[in-house]
Amino acid sequence: MNDQVSIRVADLIGGPLGISAEDGQKVFEKVLPLLKKSRPVNISFDHVDMVISLFLNVAIGQLYGSFSEDEVKALVRVEGLSGDDMELLKHVVDNAKKYYSNPKGYDAAWQEEASEDEQ
Amino acid sequence: MKLNIGTVRSDYAGFNSIARVAEQSHGAFSDSVEVDFSSCDFFEANMAAPLYVVVARLRDELNDVSLINLKPDLDTILRKNHFLTKFQKTALIDTNQTTVPFKVFKLQAGEQFFEYLESYMYGKGIPAMSAVLTKRFQQSLFEIFQNAAIHSRSISGIFTCGQFFPQKHRLDFTIADAGVGIRDNIRQYTGNTKMSSCAAIKWALTEGNTTKTGNQPGGLGLKLLKDFIRMNEGKLQIISRSGYYEFSATGDNCKKLDHDFPGTCVNIEINTQDTNSYYLKSELSSNDIF
Repeated sequence: MNDQVSIRVADLIGGPLGISAEDGQKVFEKVLPLLKKSRPVNISFDHVDMVISLFLNVAIGQLYGSFSEDEVKALVRVEGLSGDDMELLKHVVDNAKKYYSNPKGYDAAWQEEASEDEQ
Repeated sequence: MKLNIGTVRSDYAGFNSIARVAEQSHGAFSDSVEVDFSSCDFFEANMAAPLYVVVARLRDELNDVSLINLKPDLDTILRKNHFLTKFQKTALIDTNQTTVPFKVFKLQAGEQFFEYLESYMYGKGIPAMSAVLTKRFQQSLFEIFQNAAIHSRSISGIFTCGQFFPQKHRLDFTIADAGVGIRDNIRQYTGNTKMSSCAAIKWALTEGNTTKTGNQPGGLGLKLLKDFIRMNEGKLQIISRSGYYEFSATGDNCKKLDHDFPGTCVNIEINTQDTNSYYLKSELSSNDIF
């Protein structure tokens, strides 16, 4: 039962725009149970004209909250993204790995930033 | 109540002027508010978006807001970009096709925003930019729009407007909201109740920082926008409450406004002659990503 499952993003979100967190969540919720069963997943972005970081964070970056880097690498493939969108996805994935390794770490340094007479 | 607006360009003085009008009219309820343009020698049309933040706030408090003493040139350009239709004046046809009309969007209207960009932004006097530049610009505008949609809590929506300056080969596009401001979101999120507007803007620009809850990674939108502007040699301005941030080829700095702007406004100015490819030197495969 380890046949690869193909997820066609354009079909799932009903159009060519990967621009909202809600649509990203739709993709995530399809991928999540498959990875839990160790099924390889191919996420196809064919016919998706536009993606932004917000969408990719939720659809794919979020996977690192539930699976190890090795598991994601072994089970997830993407296709149909242009060269610059692959670059964007790489950015999103690197950011997600960092985030889940220390989710609260980003905030600590900002506790001392004081107001300049603002209320 | 009559409030003098003065000259407004997309710069520190221009945003300060709009913030001053907001501050002077703060607290007005069911009043008549006239914004007086008699000493306004120039108004960059994209600045209609942040001005409408003030108007929307006033109208929300049931004030009757009007714009008075507009000089004929200004009246024309603000009719061409449809801004004055919000004040019961008819629109004019933009024969030079240098405006991207003023529009109000609901927070959830991401797809309508896309249709708007498709309809007005390209091939209408706005120069034919390379396909890659066009796409990166569009992605950047979406990142800003969705940031406003998620974080602003603006009850009057999101206001957008653009203006092409042919001689300068520059296109300004402005997205504004009458929301809580970056500072309040971050104060709430970090627990640092004294964080200044400038510190909050810098926090939001730091890769990986996001106030989005729900255990999801984020905080890339503004960082990516800055990377794009750096490469394009354009300009980015973020105005939120008392903070004025500007980034361009000459560096970045954040200054405190003299007045409190009641929302957030992002203006991006792109160099329309840019021919950068924006691609990585090597193509990434799926294996390289994860």
